[in-house]
Amino acid sequence: MSMDTIRNSVAGDSSVLSWETWNRIKHTERFVFLSSVLFVLLFSYAFGRAPVISDVFKGYHGLAMTILIWSIFALGFNLLLGQTGLLSFGHAMFFGTASYAAALFAIHVYNEPLLVVLVGTLAAVALGVVAALILLRLHTVYFSIVALAIAQFLYFLAREPLVEITKGINGLDVKRVPLLGIVELDHEYSGLVGALLVNNLYIFIGVFFVAVVALITRIRKSPYGLIFKAIRENETRTAFVGLDVWRYKFAAFILSAAIVGLAGGLMAVNTQFAGVERLYWSVSGDIVVMTVLGGLGSLAGPVIGTFVFFYFKGIVNGFPTLGNYWLLLLALSFTAVVWVYPDGIWGMLTDFTAALRDPKGLVAKAKRRLASLVPTGGDR
Amino acid sequence: MALLETRGLTKEFGGLTALSDVDIAVEEGELVSLIGPNGAGKSTLINTITGQLSPTEGDVYYAGTDLVGMKPFEIAQLGVGRSFQTASILPELTVRENIQVASFAAEHGSFRVNFLRHRDSFDAVQEQTNEILQTIDLDSKADMDAQSLPYGDKRRLEVAIGLATDPDLLFMDEPTAGMSPTETKMTVDLIGDLLAEWGMTIFLVEHDMDIVFDVSDRIFTLHQGQLIARGTPVEIREHPAVREAYLGGGDGA
Repeated sequence: MSMDTIRNSVAGDSSVLSWETWNRIKHTERFVFLSSVLFVLLFSYAFGRAPVISDVFKGYHGLAMTILIWSIFALGFNLLLGQTGLLSFGHAMFFGTASYAAALFAIHVYNEPLLVVLVGTLAAVALGVVAALILLRLHTVYFSIVALAIAQFLYFLAREPLVEITKGINGLDVKRVPLLGIVELDHEYSGLVGALLVNNLYIFIGVFFVAVVALITRIRKSPYGLIFKAIRENETRTAFVGLDVWRYKFAAFILSAAIVGLAGGLMAVNTQFAGVERLYWSVSGDIVVMTVLGGLGSLAGPVIGTFVFFYFKGIVNGFPTLGNYWLLLLALSFTAVVWVYPDGIWGMLTDFTAALRDPKGLVAKAKRRLASLVPTGGDR
Repeated sequence: MALLETRGLTKEFGGLTALSDVDIAVEEGELVSLIGPNGAGKSTLINTITGQLSPTEGDVYYAGTDLVGMKPFEIAQLGVGRSFQTASILPELTVRENIQVASFAAEHGSFRVNFLRHRDSFDAVQEQTNEILQTIDLDSKADMDAQSLPYGDKRRLEVAIGLATDPDLLFMDEPTAGMSPTETKMTVDLIGDLLAEWGMTIFLVEHDMDIVFDVSDRIFTLHQGQLIARGTPVEIREHPAVREAYLGGGDGA
């Protein structure tokens, strides 16, 4: 490895030029879009069925779909926390409510997967409007805690008083029906499509995943992306340049709720079920862990964090002996990563690649870090 | 009619009177300075005018509009800009992005639904941002993170953000504090340009008396929350109350 890094550093102008080109390309919308398509195409295969890699991961197709949906959840959550700087400890409220709304619509009104997902999304938006009117009056920890309280309120509401509607702890079953009346979601393909994507359900979820990545990329590159960051950095300053901070926060909240609602609706379709546990506080906690572990504020971070979380929950969990300690192992990894790299796994990866490109810079940085640890004596 | 006018402006914090019955008027196109010893109420006066604090009593009129009760972003949208005393920049954004945020506010108002449009496609905003970058001479550092700028550049960026809101009246709170002599001269020159070429009205708070006497059309002097003197630089320099306030004595009671 060291030979490679040295070669990189002495390669001179031509390599610098190519890195610049790469830096430009990797931030374009088209690149992000194509990457997300490629990711969906290869993810289930690499995770569950590819030779060698899948032996390491020990994954399976069903878990791949779960991870895609929760990645949408994490991306929506990150829009609020990573971009705008608002930490909600109650995002389960959107996930769970959307799931219920989707299931109830499918059972009582009309069962069509696309429509069901849309209804879930709209329900989350409606809840988002109400929650935002309450929460955006509050700041810092009060915002976080009251969000948690609202989610827990909905949890208990769904569990006991509304048991006639929600079926309480038994939950609601959603019948699987063909998409648009034609496309069987359970239909399994053979050949290359079968090897990569397996079934229509995966494609259905994958299309939503790509759409959400594209939407969030666009939001990040719109004026909103900039203004959300400005609010995160310095709310007072943002107000004093003439921007209505409350409305932009409201917009961030609603967009986040909509994306999380989409994930909740997809979950109802995917599992053919909606239950009260999706409103539970631990769901709100899990999504914070996934997002922060993967890397706040980036696009790849929340997806990586979701993957690692479910790898521990779904795979390590099944290991002999070690499996009993999966939560402890996850907590240890979380602490280790976030301690050293506040920007999570994605921050760690970008640090590594930067180091490979510029080993001298890494040494300088390490020296600076060391120097900052040693008290300088001071001039008092 | 004056561009900015306060009438009987009073601000109390608990039992403490930070501003007492302050009447000032600023005409369009002039540069007025506000001076006074530490704790005189200079910052309170600016904060009360720009909406960060609400006055206990009195009124603030800007171009005929009563500002009392309006939020800071509404006042900014009327054309009242502000640069802060401590560099109040957006540290993790680039220099260009810092200015862009303010340019969007100037071009698009306080809120607009445009989250599906790429921000590079807003030509007027990009144009204004580039213009400000050149004016303030930060275009070579446009893509640096604001937090990695040297101190003097941070202060200039602070002024640039204020400018990018495209104000008619700009409050500058100690714009040269902590700057090197070269940077100070540049800032003073910039202030001259803003008046002459941009037709701006400037309300300056400054500790450097050389600058104040050099650039101001008129000077207001605050002391313990009260306006003790107003006038041209020559008048203020000779004013007995100002000399007393600055040279000490007489405020033991």
